[in-house]
Amino acid sequence: MSAFIATYWESLALWLPPLMRAARVTLLVAALSIAVGAVVGLLLALLKMGGPRPLRKAASAYIEVTRGTPALAQLYIAYFGLASVGLTLDNVTATVVALGLNAAAYMAEIYRAGIESVHGGQREAAMSLGMTPARAMRFIVLPQAWRVVLPPGANLGIAVLKDTSLASAIATPELMSRAYDLVGQTWRPMHIYLLVALMYMAMCLPLAQIVRRLERGVKRSDVPASKAPGSVGWRQRATAA
Amino acid sequence: MSEFVRFWEILFVKLPTFLPYLLKGALVTLEITGATLVVAAVLGLGLALMRRARVPMVGALAATYIEVMRSVPVLTTLFVIYFGLAYLGVQLPSFVAAVIGLGMLGASYMAEIIRAGIEAVHQGQREAAVSLGMTPSQAMRFIVLPQALRVIVAPTANYTIGLLKDTAIVSTVAAPELLFAAKSLVSQTILPMQVYLLTASIYFVMSWPLARAARHLELRLSRGV
Repeated sequence: MSAFIATYWESLALWLPPLMRAARVTLLVAALSIAVGAVVGLLLALLKMGGPRPLRKAASAYIEVTRGTPALAQLYIAYFGLASVGLTLDNVTATVVALGLNAAAYMAEIYRAGIESVHGGQREAAMSLGMTPARAMRFIVLPQAWRVVLPPGANLGIAVLKDTSLASAIATPELMSRAYDLVGQTWRPMHIYLLVALMYMAMCLPLAQIVRRLERGVKRSDVPASKAPGSVGWRQRATAA
Repeated sequence: MSEFVRFWEILFVKLPTFLPYLLKGALVTLEITGATLVVAAVLGLGLALMRRARVPMVGALAATYIEVMRSVPVLTTLFVIYFGLAYLGVQLPSFVAAVIGLGMLGASYMAEIIRAGIEAVHQGQREAAVSLGMTPSQAMRFIVLPQALRVIVAPTANYTIGLLKDTAIVSTVAAPELLFAAKSLVSQTILPMQVYLLTASIYFVMSWPLARAARHLELRLSRGV
């Protein structure tokens, strides 16, 4: 046991810098994937709820199929599959495309639940005031849906962050991939993978804490989202009042 | 256009050789899913009971385990178990490592599902059972858990769908499941798009009925709760 820990003392200074650099790639890939997921997911949700019939069907089918297949298989399709039919993506792009489009399917359902949670009267009132359906969605429904969307959306973000580890299978230079290389060089799998587990925890646990605060904010449903605990600047406003 | 036709032509011609090969892998995928589900349910029940125990430290220990498992990617857990333990002299077969790795994460999900189920049973049920002379553990076993099952079933079905897809990850430690079979088929044929699309379809065929069943259960069991 003491020998096990002594190895950390000797080698930590050597291992940590490359792993930290790789963790930055992990965060970058996760952020880009989440962004893709958030944008495409909203599009899918809007199409599924109010698009023309063929598009509505297509969005539903996309969501079902994407949620019914493993992310790793989707990564292989984006990286190896597309390359074989003439569309070569580098591994970071392939990761962002695969994980982003995967997250979009889950995000779409989260948006849908959020939009459906806004009372229908809100939309009707907006339209009776002369707003177009699109403007009613943009200015009345979505801002209210946002608070219901945010906690599960943030949870999905954590899941995406962890899923970036799958990208090591296509050699994207993120944390898990770098750890794998490092194990190859040092043959210290237990040390390095435990260290990497700790690094993932260090990234995920603060996010989980934020999600919990967001969830508490939503539960107090009489507080408007913009003033709910966890929203930007709520503490300042709370103390000012 | 002819390339497009050619693509499907190849898939069509190769299908009789690809499909049996992949289906053998799919069988292992189902085995891993089943075995993991059992491990996750048993460990999860243990964790759920630990979280409810009034003994100090025990609840916190279970809560910490759940928190840690959820904030580490399965792939990392799997590598710790497969490569890490091998380094310490415990060489697990990949199937076993896969079930333990997925099961350890699954236990944390199942624990929360079971806990929610137990909490959904009205407190009076337990009190009534105890007042009739049952011990607390008898009350849990014969009165609370059977009623909790109703609330537990639907989220467990949802977890199982997630698990079925997560088994793809264990291909990285060479467990001979569906995606691993697909990878070796790709290295033999160099037809990644056809093989992986076919593989994805097989996963979909397995998970979609489960998803429908879960939705159905959710609707049915939510009546009268």
